[in-house]
Amino acid sequence: MIEWSHWLPILAMLPLVGGALTPLLFRHRPAAACFWAVSVASVTSVVAIALLLRLVDSGGFSYAVGGWLPQYGIELRMDEVGAFAVPASLLVLLSLVFSRHYVARAVDASRVSFYYALVLINLGGLNGFLVTGDLFNLFVFMEIFSVSAYALVATAREPIASLAALKYLLLGAASSLLVLFSVGVVFAMTGTLNLEDAAAALALSSPMPAGLALAGLATGFAVKAALFPVHFWLPDAHAAAPAPVSAVLSALVVKAGIVGVLRTLELFGGAESLLQPLLHLVVWLGALGALGGALMALVQRDIKLMLAYSTVANIGYIFIGLGLATASAVSGAMVHAVNHAVIKSALFLAAGAMIHRTGLRNIDDLRGLGRRMPVTAFGMAFTLIALSGAPPMAGFTGKWQIALGALQAGHPSLVAVLVIAGIVVLAFGIRVINALYFRPPARVAVASATEAPASMWLPVLMLTIASLALGLAGTPMLEFVGPAAQSIYGTLP
Amino acid sequence: MKIAATALSHVDYLVAVALFLTGAWILLTSGNLVKKVIGLNIMETSVFAFIVTTGMIDGGAPPLVAPGDPGPFASPLPHALVLTGIVVAVSVTSLALVLILRVRAEFGSVELDEIALSLAAGDTAEQSERHGSADD
Repeated sequence: MIEWSHWLPILAMLPLVGGALTPLLFRHRPAAACFWAVSVASVTSVVAIALLLRLVDSGGFSYAVGGWLPQYGIELRMDEVGAFAVPASLLVLLSLVFSRHYVARAVDASRVSFYYALVLINLGGLNGFLVTGDLFNLFVFMEIFSVSAYALVATAREPIASLAALKYLLLGAASSLLVLFSVGVVFAMTGTLNLEDAAAALALSSPMPAGLALAGLATGFAVKAALFPVHFWLPDAHAAAPAPVSAVLSALVVKAGIVGVLRTLELFGGAESLLQPLLHLVVWLGALGALGGALMALVQRDIKLMLAYSTVANIGYIFIGLGLATASAVSGAMVHAVNHAVIKSALFLAAGAMIHRTGLRNIDDLRGLGRRMPVTAFGMAFTLIALSGAPPMAGFTGKWQIALGALQAGHPSLVAVLVIAGIVVLAFGIRVINALYFRPPARVAVASATEAPASMWLPVLMLTIASLALGLAGTPMLEFVGPAAQSIYGTLP
Repeated sequence: MKIAATALSHVDYLVAVALFLTGAWILLTSGNLVKKVIGLNIMETSVFAFIVTTGMIDGGAPPLVAPGDPGPFASPLPHALVLTGIVVAVSVTSLALVLILRVRAEFGSVELDEIALSLAAGDTAEQSERHGSADD
């Protein structure tokens, strides 16, 4: 009988090795590269689901890499935050299926095998980041998913893609350095890199260098997560990337920044006097991001830019929840991270299918497409309503819990922020739905468009169904993340 | 006096922070993409220098342990970390430089203000094209 924990390194190593092999094996056979990437992502998803079942069955577990025990060796561990590897693997799998036809047009043929390699390496980095119990590996895996994300943005053909990728790279690399610097400070203070060990040592340490490390880690991860006001790299990068990459970036890579913030909170859980001011700041930055992102989304003409700004708004919601630090707000924020991942990848994939079939990306140009591409348009309309937080769809659970938390914490004004931002989101949703269904086509490309191939509409449809199913499964999800929220913050009101 | 003495005993940390801020300043304010990458490299160097100095022990020997060596030894772990960090930094820098080459090929410049001009020109061209297609 193999120990369960042996599957933990496989979760990260399988996509990393599979990705590294892709250009070697399939450089001149892009179709086979897609098949290979989908297979690797499928096996990874199965491993992730098996680990999740084990976690639900008998609690968290850890693995000592190379047999060296923590705190000297490298620890991998599975907990409720690490369980995000399941949606991560599944969403990457669906994006890879979607890529089959999309990439043939959107990416140069010579780059296709590298595209699949980078997507797999990105997944490996994400999964490793989620299950590592070691500060330095947190940095290494963060760099793996970040560098592959910069390169993925640049795989798009549009001239603007290289500039967007470079902007993303410069900001991302600077934020990574802040994280590495802070890891160095923590190591200098505590003499350990193990998360739990360092957390115990930091609880007893002096506030001055610990505050520096906390500020560095929080800022670094906030840039990765695109928290207002360090979000400005996001819209260009997410809009310029190929659509399946936009889905992965908006759904997963920014959420990894959130996971980084959660790990930071865990690390400084014992130093409450340092955390309180940070949490207050995060609430108000989140509120500004939620309002600003939603309003900016409303005025966009480009459908992918609109979706990218809506990601900024949703990251704002999540940070409001994390900063409020009440049990319902934090578990609501964690559930919303998953639900938004599903909804936003459905939206980006649907937008990608429309761009693929018509070559148009302005909302006004896409009018009348509802009849021509019924499944894709239905997926987009349904998930736009889910995004606005209408019950019983997936966007509702998290926002409701965060609003409850705001009332508990005595911030009724935040409920107003959530409601206003929700109305704005509904407004741009209705604008798109109106254009798709209730306006006549204005462009020849729309009038002559037909439904996208099954490899495109099937992932969109599955994600659409998931965005309803996850909404109905709100209570079990909240119960699942509840203990994690408690253990990260110590005790929550 | 006490502050000066503390500062002097941590002069390596202060230098690292000063270098970090210098690099960040260049990265944020320079309009030239290559200079931004150089700023990033200065930041990287400062972080590596900082982490390496955390492994230092007063009077410590290099951590090459032979039987019977009494120690104390400098901590080897920060060196391993920095080695990994350098590998990451090299890959980030090379990716950045390749992207700059592509930006230059597409916009004809590595200066942000000139790129903004050519982007604006591209937008007007696109709009006039749209008006043209609406006419026919």
